Amino acid sequence: MPTNLASGAEYDTVGSKRWVWPGFAVPGIVWLLLLFLVPFYAIFAVAMGQVDPILQRVNPEWNPIYWAPEVFADAFADLFGGQLGVIALRTIAYVFIASLLCVIVGYPVAYFVSRKAGRWRWLWLLLILAPFWINYLMRMMSWVNLLSPDGQVNRWLATIAGWFSVAFTPPDWLAGSHLVVILGLVYGYIPFFILPLFASLDRIDNATLEASRDLGASPLNTFWRVTWPLSRNGVLGGLVIIMLPMFGDYYTPNLLSGSPRTTMYGNTIDQFINQTTSQGALGAALTIILMIFVAGLMAYYLITINRATRAGRE
Amino acid sequence: MAYHPRENWIPQNRRRVYTRRDFLQRAALLGVALPVLPSLLAACADREGGGSGDLAVGTPANPVQQPLFDDNPAIDSGLEPEDGPLKLYNWEDYINPEILPVVSEALGVEIEVATFFNEEAALAALSSGEVTYDVWFPTSQRVPVAVAAALIQPLNHEYLPNLDANVWPQLADPYYDQGSLYTVPYVTYSTGIGWRIDMVDSEDIEGQANPWDVFWNTKYAGNMGLYDSFTDTIAMALFRNGVGDPSQATEAELEAAGDALVELIELMNVRYTIDGAYSGIPEGRFGLHHAWSGDVVNSQYYWPEGADMTVARYLWPARSEGSTVNGPISNDTMAIPKGAEHPVLAHQFLDFLLDQGNSLLNFEYVGYQPPQNELTPEFLIGEGYAQDYLAAALVTPEDFEVETAWVQGPLDAETETLWSEQWTRAKSGG
Repeated sequence: MPTNLASGAEYDTVGSKRWVWPGFAVPGIVWLLLLFLVPFYAIFAVAMGQVDPILQRVNPEWNPIYWAPEVFADAFADLFGGQLGVIALRTIAYVFIASLLCVIVGYPVAYFVSRKAGRWRWLWLLLILAPFWINYLMRMMSWVNLLSPDGQVNRWLATIAGWFSVAFTPPDWLAGSHLVVILGLVYGYIPFFILPLFASLDRIDNATLEASRDLGASPLNTFWRVTWPLSRNGVLGGLVIIMLPMFGDYYTPNLLSGSPRTTMYGNTIDQFINQTTSQGALGAALTIILMIFVAGLMAYYLITINRATRAGRE
Repeated sequence: MAYHPRENWIPQNRRRVYTRRDFLQRAALLGVALPVLPSLLAACADREGGGSGDLAVGTPANPVQQPLFDDNPAIDSGLEPEDGPLKLYNWEDYINPEILPVVSEALGVEIEVATFFNEEAALAALSSGEVTYDVWFPTSQRVPVAVAAALIQPLNHEYLPNLDANVWPQLADPYYDQGSLYTVPYVTYSTGIGWRIDMVDSEDIEGQANPWDVFWNTKYAGNMGLYDSFTDTIAMALFRNGVGDPSQATEAELEAAGDALVELIELMNVRYTIDGAYSGIPEGRFGLHHAWSGDVVNSQYYWPEGADMTVARYLWPARSEGSTVNGPISNDTMAIPKGAEHPVLAHQFLDFLLDQGNSLLNFEYVGYQPPQNELTPEFLIGEGYAQDYLAAALVTPEDFEVETAWVQGPLDAETETLWSEQWTRAKSGG
């Protein structure tokens, strides 16, 4: 019925258009609800739950009426003044040092690949991505083998010491060293830092750099006044991506050390949730506290990015 | 009629009393829509009244029978087996994959294996009632809990001729489940000390009055590890301090055990692992490690090529000449969850694994020893299933009867909180 189409067409288009673009948000919202809000509510329900008298495990309390937030008081008492304070501070120190090392190592790599690698760029990117093809756990396990007392690393060091006739006592890398755990974190997460930074460096228009040089700036000055400010948000983005999972990491210290000296916050959550039967609520409360803490970092990032975008528009 | 304790309980710690007004205010605040109010109020009412469950916890000296409930009967005798698939619910790597096709052929059904990561997860899954399995493998200390919570059903022994025929009398009629009303034993293990004689002087362990004390011997600083498992490790520290029954440890004794573990950080540079006994010792990462006997038997597959594995040793302090301290012994069981869809098949599976040849085939892979009359240490060593220098890692039926053997019972939440506090101290590194 072509006549009908002609008369109603305009109205219909307007009607459907109103829903088309917001409609694109539906998958994202469903995703957010199912995979973020529901699990998050579940963590709350566990934190606020009570111990079952028979099973002696925490029954999640789904009904907010019965929520008993006392567990947060326990968690805060443990964190400030209790045993967990040391662990929390250690975790923060590890993550900040590891992130700093990621910037020091990762920035030059990203810079090189985006601006200097020329036609071999794809190869460098491939090499940076290659570790992703192997499971994180597997990569850490290989380090355990490489670093074990009679592992390959010590054998190489012994060979090198032999060349120079230096006495060599093989170090025990896995004996609970802070450095090894921090380097493990750097190794595990650095590709996640390099990639967003690479994308951000890659977007910088060459003309701006050329303009800077034409106007008399030295290469160092150009970097400091043009490249660095333009890539700062890339650094921040990369940092957010690596710091959030680092705060929750517990496999790295488990595998590369196992010493109480290197216990991280994630290990404590694991202990309360997976090892004990009745302490699940405390574990869940610690998880929520960690989430609030990293949400603070995330908020800082979003505010900074927002400000930069607005400044860019003006 | 006996009521199941599970049927009317209230959470004990729910001390706060809510008035109806509180409830309505909160409901309004939370934006709870009116139509759901009646159901919420009904849920509220469910939480009133009732008591808490008493567990029947046995020890070799004081065996107990698990209670039976009218609403949880065993299946009748003489039923035809169901069509599969038979669904097993087990720990990871805790059944020989090669035995599955054999069972499948013997019972004529498909076998499905689902695994759990720890017993908490298993309890959660089973008590949610949302999944059904036909066979579950709980540790013996969980049996009283599983019975009280109606997670498992009684067994009909008509389907289990192999139980009395083949199984050690000590475990065919075990202290935790007299008459095997709900479970049959799966594998046994002791917990002791694993070491290698090329890195550790055996005299520091064997013949010592307190073998556990070797973990505090500074000769082996930086060379030793303990299990990253708080019940095992706190119990070990209690034994080392001379406590006979960790289940009865006082707060002061627990504090002292915590102190002893904290001391290990500086003194010994202790490391906590879960793979130290079976792979850390063979790989030379540790000379000395807290060890489950089954891990020690299994470690034979983890030695690097060409390495001399005869340097491995194991000692269970409860059965060591001159030792005056106790040591843990335990076993895992097989049970049929309540609500299993294929209970007859499940009984047949239990009986299948209680067969000598089948359990031996399973042992070959699992490394944890089935309590079979004919599978004596002499037989296992003679046939090459175990090594003579690791004979101490093989459990004998009499081990359950020695006075120095200790069996772990379930920890109630209050006690577990105390243990967990000490464990956090031991693990926090400061």
